[in-house]
Amino acid sequence: MHELATIDYIIIGIYLAGMVSVGLWFAKKHTDFEDFFLAGRSLTTPLLITTLISTYYGIDVLFGDSQLGFTNGVVAWFGYARPTYAFFLIAAFLLAHRLREDDFKSLPDILDKYYGKKTRYVGAVTSFIYSLPALSLYGFGMLGDVILGWEPIVGMLILGGIALVYTLTGGFWAVALTDSIQFVLMCVILALAFPYAMKLIGGFDAMIEVLEPSYFDTMGDMSIWLIIIYASTGLSILVDPTFYQRIFAAKSYKNVRNALVIGIFIWGSYDWIITILAMAAKVAVIQGTLPMDVPPDAALLKVMVAALPAGALGLFMAGVLSTEMSTLDSYCLVAGGNVAYDIYKPAFKPEATDQELIKTTRQGILLSWVLGFIMAISFDQMLGLWVFMASILISSVMVPILLGMYVPKFRKPLAGFLSAGLGLGSTVILNIYIMTNGVFDVEEETYIIQWFGIDFIQEFIMYITVPISLIGFFVGVIFDKGDPHE
Amino acid sequence: MSNWEIFTWITVVILGLGSVVVFILFLKDIKEILKKFNKEEK
Repeated sequence: MHELATIDYIIIGIYLAGMVSVGLWFAKKHTDFEDFFLAGRSLTTPLLITTLISTYYGIDVLFGDSQLGFTNGVVAWFGYARPTYAFFLIAAFLLAHRLREDDFKSLPDILDKYYGKKTRYVGAVTSFIYSLPALSLYGFGMLGDVILGWEPIVGMLILGGIALVYTLTGGFWAVALTDSIQFVLMCVILALAFPYAMKLIGGFDAMIEVLEPSYFDTMGDMSIWLIIIYASTGLSILVDPTFYQRIFAAKSYKNVRNALVIGIFIWGSYDWIITILAMAAKVAVIQGTLPMDVPPDAALLKVMVAALPAGALGLFMAGVLSTEMSTLDSYCLVAGGNVAYDIYKPAFKPEATDQELIKTTRQGILLSWVLGFIMAISFDQMLGLWVFMASILISSVMVPILLGMYVPKFRKPLAGFLSAGLGLGSTVILNIYIMTNGVFDVEEETYIIQWFGIDFIQEFIMYITVPISLIGFFVGVIFDKGDPHE
Repeated sequence: MSNWEIFTWITVVILGLGSVVVFILFLKDIKEILKKFNKEEK
């Protein structure tokens, strides 16, 4: 599809060079580990809005929302995107305040305080696996191919490599600053894209006329079970390590609360426009402007290439790259912190200096990038990997963190360890079992296995693993006769 | 103009103008932060 003009390539080149420059500028400016990992706990509301939004809106949202909008219509927003805003509100008003009450630096820090070192290490491993940038690197491979005509592995190495360089050198300051540039780029370009798309298809009324009425049915024809599953993926925000990192990096709780409340309007608008643009792509296919065989996940890019003029298209593509870079950099940094601060320091070198921690975090960032790269080139079905990574965090640390946070008498070391350990173990085992013994259903885009006469899809694993984590927790509460931790 | 279209234009305004306003506020904050870095360096 690489039908870009010279000006588009220049814009993309300037954007990529700018990202690296920010990282290099910050390379030697960190005074200590807290400055490197949490930007000195000085993020203001605007910085929090930009870094939160750009981190959560990766390519999976861009193409996941648009794919559903292309095939099903507005249900992509009402059924898939909208429930997550409720979790953002819960995070703003019920969670963030509690997290700011202590001097935490990372998610495993919380587990350590509530349940001790063993649970900390399980949480650190879970957070590290969850933060591996396999999906982002896979996305870069796809973007390099679609936008620039590169082999996927070249896109992963060059585009993913740029994000790696500025994260390694600049730490959280570079991540937050590049996120802010990426935020404005992706939002403004998306807003500008709407009138161009309408011009291409003959206006909004044409869309209503051409598409089937079901495209405007707010709940579409999705089953209630699938809607519950989609909605429950939003739970991950409540235990997402990059989200926690931003809460810890904020100047105050009020900054976090305000950023989340304002952010919901921008998140909602972003999701809605993606959905409408994808529906415009469907109209373009019906009208013959786009080919009939356009893949649903590439529909958004295709309609933008057809609608946007030279220059604007380069900005849009830079915005798409931004969407993914801002996700990769944040997760790599968290994974690096898990290695250095959550495992290396408490387990091997409690007296490690800040400079040693920064050095080890950088090594951890590199390790996570390399492991993510190996996964990205090894897995055939990235959707299966996505489900695995999304479920691992909810299944392992959600129960001990939330119960420990709100019921201090439950803070028994055995409870935390059993809950996190059994949740992690069962998620890994069940996912591997289904991905190796199940069949990948191309239509449903998921692994399916026959269990007791029913089609059990990979997404349903959380219905088993979360109860396992919960049972493990209460078994621990009952059998641990000691006092609550602390 | 349908309700769907009106809603979409509202989201366009929120996304376009909202993000620019947030970015301007961000630039204001970042000036102070960069000044702090430059001072520490000196």
